[in-house]
Amino acid sequence: MESVALAAPGGDLSIWALFWQAGWVVKLVMIGLLGASIWTWAIIVDKTLAYARMRRALNRFEQVFWSGQSLEELYRSLSERKTTGMGAIFVAAMREWKKSFEKGARSPLGLQTRIDKAMDLALAREMERLEGKLGFLASVGSSAPFIGLFGTVVGIMTSFQAIAGSKSTNLAVVAPGIAEALLATAMGLLAAIPAVIAYNKLTADAGRLGARMEGFADEFSAILSRQIDEKVAPRTRAEEYA
Amino acid sequence: MKAGLATSVTLHAALLGIGLFSLSAPRAYEVADVESLPVDIIPVESLTQIQEGEKQAAVAPRPAPAPTRRPDPVENAQKVGEADTDLKPPPTPDAKPRPVESASEPKAAERPQPRPEEKPAAEEVPAPTGETQVAATERTPEPQPRREITPDPVPDPLVAENAEAESLNLPPTAPVPQARPQPPRPQTAKAPEQKRAEEPAKAAQAQTRSEPKKNEELLDQVAALLNKEEASGGGAKRSQQEAALGGRETTGGEKLTQSEMDALRAQIQRCWNVPVGALDAENLRVSLKFRLDPSGAVEGSPQVISGGDGSSIARAAAESARRAILQCGPYDLPAEKYSAWADVIVHFDPTDMF
Repeated sequence: MESVALAAPGGDLSIWALFWQAGWVVKLVMIGLLGASIWTWAIIVDKTLAYARMRRALNRFEQVFWSGQSLEELYRSLSERKTTGMGAIFVAAMREWKKSFEKGARSPLGLQTRIDKAMDLALAREMERLEGKLGFLASVGSSAPFIGLFGTVVGIMTSFQAIAGSKSTNLAVVAPGIAEALLATAMGLLAAIPAVIAYNKLTADAGRLGARMEGFADEFSAILSRQIDEKVAPRTRAEEYA
Repeated sequence: MKAGLATSVTLHAALLGIGLFSLSAPRAYEVADVESLPVDIIPVESLTQIQEGEKQAAVAPRPAPAPTRRPDPVENAQKVGEADTDLKPPPTPDAKPRPVESASEPKAAERPQPRPEEKPAAEEVPAPTGETQVAATERTPEPQPRREITPDPVPDPLVAENAEAESLNLPPTAPVPQARPQPPRPQTAKAPEQKRAEEPAKAAQAQTRSEPKKNEELLDQVAALLNKEEASGGGAKRSQQEAALGGRETTGGEKLTQSEMDALRAQIQRCWNVPVGALDAENLRVSLKFRLDPSGAVEGSPQVISGGDGSSIARAAAESARRAILQCGPYDLPAEKYSAWADVIVHFDPTDMF
């Protein structure tokens, strides 16, 4: 009757059953990969929303900035609330400008350098906020297949031990083990593929936003530099006349 | 971040839920049953008895083949008959028995015995032989509708003529082995042959007139039995019983049984791995002798009594046979017949395994 038992189909092969039949290493790998996939998608959703928000904010700020409004007024309205993107760069530069002029700066060169530094700092902070957590996507994209493969190798090892234990090379003995082992690789790929695609897309988006902000910073720096020259020049001329 | 995490968890839960329900167990493969006799279920007796039945049916007290299908009647048929197709002409009364060529003639041909009256003999005698043939091979002497369709009347006269020419050809005395007749001989070739054969035919007739006609009939009957041109086909035996476990034919006895040796052989065969990679592995026949104790376990080591020497492959084959014997023990055999299987010689012949 042994042959009859061996010929019976290898039990339930649904995904849930495969998960429960797996050994603890494979289970751990699968749970980890599921967690990685959840976190990956959380980051993807979050970043996509954040970039859309940022793009809208940049458009609105540029519109306001180039509308001919007085920079003083703009600064006053912006400094009262929390700003992001170009607004933050603008506020940082204006704050430095105001501080220097309120105390009566002497050296225009030093002022220009300080303003640039402040803008660089604000830009770096903004970029960090934009690109934060993208590293996790890169890690998942590159390592999840390997983690899944690890689970598969361990699972297949187990199923080969099962062959040795049952002294039968019947496919019904081997198949469930291999199926559950392959589930780990499937989950690894399932986590890795969206992570890689999203990482490339989000990095490109972040780079584009960063370039826009950098361009604004340069432009604003040029405007301020002109202003400094204009403010410093009459004074020196007056000194000459005096 | 909270929104993203919530969205992600929801998405994953939904996907997993769909996967659990829609990607549940895959459909079972519909695999055809392997044709094998479930030896474990069949009782072990001293004689192997195979009863006619179905190889894949369940065991029943009386093995029986699968019921045959009744031929369906032709719809809108006009003429009454047994044929498969509705034909205008009336059914031919009976299949004309025709002498069919065989590879070698019976020995009787060595004696110069031309038949004096071929024509009546050829037409009359085979009719009863045809009937006896049917009676001998088939249990239910039902008329076979198939035969009525196939007869083609064209070759018959030709063959009859041929037979005539052939018998006329026989020389008067010398025991010349008969040439194999060529059935569709062209007309041009026939005429001179007959002319040439006239004189010896006359002589032969004169000589063999005294021979008894009975002998001749017997010869024709033998020829009719020997010359079976028609393939046996699928058989015409009808069965109405429910199919039960059994073989293709009955070998005698009342039940389906296997002998102790069959059981032992089946058990050993399960463990035998033929050295397939070897060149000419089909010829690696090995015989081993071993002793079993009453519990069915192998006592000592199996002894190679033939084969297994010479090349390393032969030694490997002998070793594989020995392993099979040791690995499959203890054997399940009826203890009360211990004396019958205490000492066993098993011949391992890989021919069947390829």
